[in-house]
Amino acid sequence: MYNRRSSYAAAVASGSTGTNQTHPAPTRSGAFSHMLNSAHSTPHNLSHSRLSRSVDADGHHSSMSNSWTRGGPLPSYSSQTGYWQGLGGSVQDIPPFFVPSYLRGSKHAEKLHEAHKAKLAAHRDAKSTHSSNAASLSTSSSSVNLHKMAPSHRGLTHEIIERTPPVADEPAPWPTKWNDGDKFAQLDIEDNGRQAKFSGSQKTHDEAAAVRADFPMPRQCGIYYYEITVISKGKDGRMIGVGFSGPKVALSRIPGWEPDSYAYHGDDGQIFSNTTSGKPFGNKFGTLDVIGCGINFRTNTAFFTKNGQFQGTAFRDLKPTMQYYPTVGMKKPGETLRANFGQEPFAYDIDKMVQDEKAAIQAEIARAKSSDKAATNETDFIHQLIGQYLAHDGYVETARAFADEAIEEARALANDEDADIPYPETVEDLDALNRQKIRTAILDGDIDKALKHTTAYYPSVLRDNENIYFKLRCRKFIEMIRRCNEMTAQCHPVPTPPSKRSTASTLNKRNSTATDEYDFEMELDEQLGVHNPTPSWDNKDDDEELDDEDDMEDKEIKLQQLTQDTITYGMELRQEFANDQRREVKRALEDTFALIAYENVRESTLAPLLETAGRVPVAEELNSAILVSLGKSSSAALERLVQITEALVTELADDGGPGAFINVRRDFLQ
Amino acid sequence: MSSSTVSVSAATPTRHPFQRKIDDVKPSKTDINFVIMDYLVSEGYPRAAEKFAKEANIQLPLEEESIQCRVEIRQAIHVGDIDTAITKINDLNPQILDTDPALHFALLRLQLIELIRACTSSATSDITPALNFASSQLAPRAATNLDFLKDLELTMSLLIFLPATSTLQKELTDLLDPCLRRNVASKVNEAILTSMGARGEARMRSLVRLRHWAESKARAAGKDIPPALPLGLQDADERPSDSNGNNGAAADIMVQ
Repeated sequence: MYNRRSSYAAAVASGSTGTNQTHPAPTRSGAFSHMLNSAHSTPHNLSHSRLSRSVDADGHHSSMSNSWTRGGPLPSYSSQTGYWQGLGGSVQDIPPFFVPSYLRGSKHAEKLHEAHKAKLAAHRDAKSTHSSNAASLSTSSSSVNLHKMAPSHRGLTHEIIERTPPVADEPAPWPTKWNDGDKFAQLDIEDNGRQAKFSGSQKTHDEAAAVRADFPMPRQCGIYYYEITVISKGKDGRMIGVGFSGPKVALSRIPGWEPDSYAYHGDDGQIFSNTTSGKPFGNKFGTLDVIGCGINFRTNTAFFTKNGQFQGTAFRDLKPTMQYYPTVGMKKPGETLRANFGQEPFAYDIDKMVQDEKAAIQAEIARAKSSDKAATNETDFIHQLIGQYLAHDGYVETARAFADEAIEEARALANDEDADIPYPETVEDLDALNRQKIRTAILDGDIDKALKHTTAYYPSVLRDNENIYFKLRCRKFIEMIRRCNEMTAQCHPVPTPPSKRSTASTLNKRNSTATDEYDFEMELDEQLGVHNPTPSWDNKDDDEELDDEDDMEDKEIKLQQLTQDTITYGMELRQEFANDQRREVKRALEDTFALIAYENVRESTLAPLLETAGRVPVAEELNSAILVSLGKSSSAALERLVQITEALVTELADDGGPGAFINVRRDFLQ
Repeated sequence: MSSSTVSVSAATPTRHPFQRKIDDVKPSKTDINFVIMDYLVSEGYPRAAEKFAKEANIQLPLEEESIQCRVEIRQAIHVGDIDTAITKINDLNPQILDTDPALHFALLRLQLIELIRACTSSATSDITPALNFASSQLAPRAATNLDFLKDLELTMSLLIFLPATSTLQKELTDLLDPCLRRNVASKVNEAILTSMGARGEARMRSLVRLRHWAESKARAAGKDIPPALPLGLQDADERPSDSNGNNGAAADIMVQ
């Protein structure tokens, strides 16, 4: 049976056992196939992309998702396998994403991760345009959009904003491997670029072979650090140099001998920068030693570690504008170095060094007081910010309560009942109340009411902001589905979808192998003592009308009515925006309509769309649009403050300054 | 989106490139609401917090037990009733003042200031209570700590100058300023929060400081940023009165 089959596949995909009760199958799909185009192909695509999504979060997306599809446990859809194979091939062009431990949670890591996801999405999009409609629906709606949404619990609406084309100034990637195209010829690069081996004959005294990593160490990291392990120091020597160099430095010499080249040498433990005579620095190193090299871009200094021990600061006054690439050099046959750019845990506790740096900067910030204002004015300033934000965003009741409490506080402070209180009574303006009504309606899920109020009070807003109007209309559809879902849950407390459509069963019959799993699951359910209505599945149409309980029947009728209304509304919605060629509109429609494919959306990959949290962004966007229509600033002073702060911190991070150690959102807003 | 750029571009005819960077930042309302709620709860505005939870549809953090208590302590300090405040703090957790002698001293000194204020407010008053309190409560603590001693000496000198407040030097007027009580109250609040394992300082305060720090750092580093980075606080207060009235009236007619 079709839905059994796909839920089984989903269960396999998510690594759970066959006993679970999730049935995310689109039993209604037949009824809506005219809206979804070939909706029947959705489920296994979805389950597949859920897999790839979850794996993608860990940064190892391609190989696993690929092998799963290649395994192809869905014989009747073998035509789809070709498509996925094609996708897998292209995704593999993008190397897996990793974050070095000490950069986890940093702003730069977040940016790079975003960029990586965007790249993957772009690849998938590019592929999907060549394939069928159904495929593009599933890739765009689930794997790309949803996984971007999930972490922040944002609704569908934000997707449209965030899906901007990649910005010109992309975040600087960090090194991931030795660059096969930027090495001396006699070096072999092995093991996906992690290992460098000297393969030629011994060089003359002055000559050596060096290789640079694929990317320079990004200043935005604040501190960048990598390690190498000496796999073999070769037969007769350990002339190995570990360090960094500019992009133009000759690779025929050991690092450290040229200008803009800095290194720590294994044979004598000395450090070299633009000189052939080194300075005593640390221990010598040889086979199986782990050497770490790091730059602190805030102080423009470089340091080395050996086997987890800090060896000291080696270089100062690095050039703030130079791009430094991790570089190693060697000159004896057999010498082999393996790099760890953060793919694996480091030997040295670099995390602590970064933490300490962060803590020092946080302490500096905590001490920072405005120069022109006394510390106590900070409270007044914050109260102004809060008061203005509450009024601006239409939190009328809160604004009033806050003003009351603040006045109370000020009176107490002044020791005087009649003191001149600097807190003006909140201006009870009509707009604030209206906006509050509209917001409340949206937050309650009553989109009709919100639309009615908005049209009555601010007729121009929906006209001028078509995208918001569109989002409200979509949200209404989502709310209708929500209600259908709730009622279904009330009517049928058993998790298995009881209703069915004849089209679904004809689809099921196409899948000949399905019966086995069907029986298997049934048995399991019986063993577990779960009431399973599935045996009577095929007769359910008749049973439905003969429901014993009256109120059940009543609800059933209401549910049918609601389902009918939802479908009608959905068709209206589709018609209204059918001619809209905007990509984001099409996408949002696809996402929304994909919801009806599921009898039990809550257990599907699309469940996040249904969350009430999705109402918030719609409400906020409408509120902003109304404010703009009133000639007010769309963002409150507090938002402005966050924007300015974030922009300033970014500015302070770009050159590796102290801003690199701050993640405004993570460190200050959560 | 378009909305955010409209108002800004109107205000600044030649847009600084940094302005675009600011506009590109899209703070999430969820985060901002969180910061607001965090402030209301940790700084002790229970009624506003409750309303905000309803209006913004967010969860009220589970710190309800202490919030009322913290509000009472704050109020007691604000009105100068330090005795009550200290009792309440000790009821809540006697460890707080035991482990933070500086905070305890600050509270006692506040109490001394109130005593001095009371006994110097009328010519006939007796300064003995203030002297007794100083020698019994503050002097033993000040004996072991130079900073405390300096503070105590300064505070005692109030006895000489009061009630002639007009000629006081700044150090002394600061002692009489309500801000001192506010500062101590906020320190007490932080100490209570920290003692409960919560984050002591409200995120809003850190955020405001981060902005100051970032701006001064950026200016010191010679970054290309506009001479002023207005928040629009004043702006928002002035402008609405004009456009608001018109629109409100128009909307009224529409409804009818």
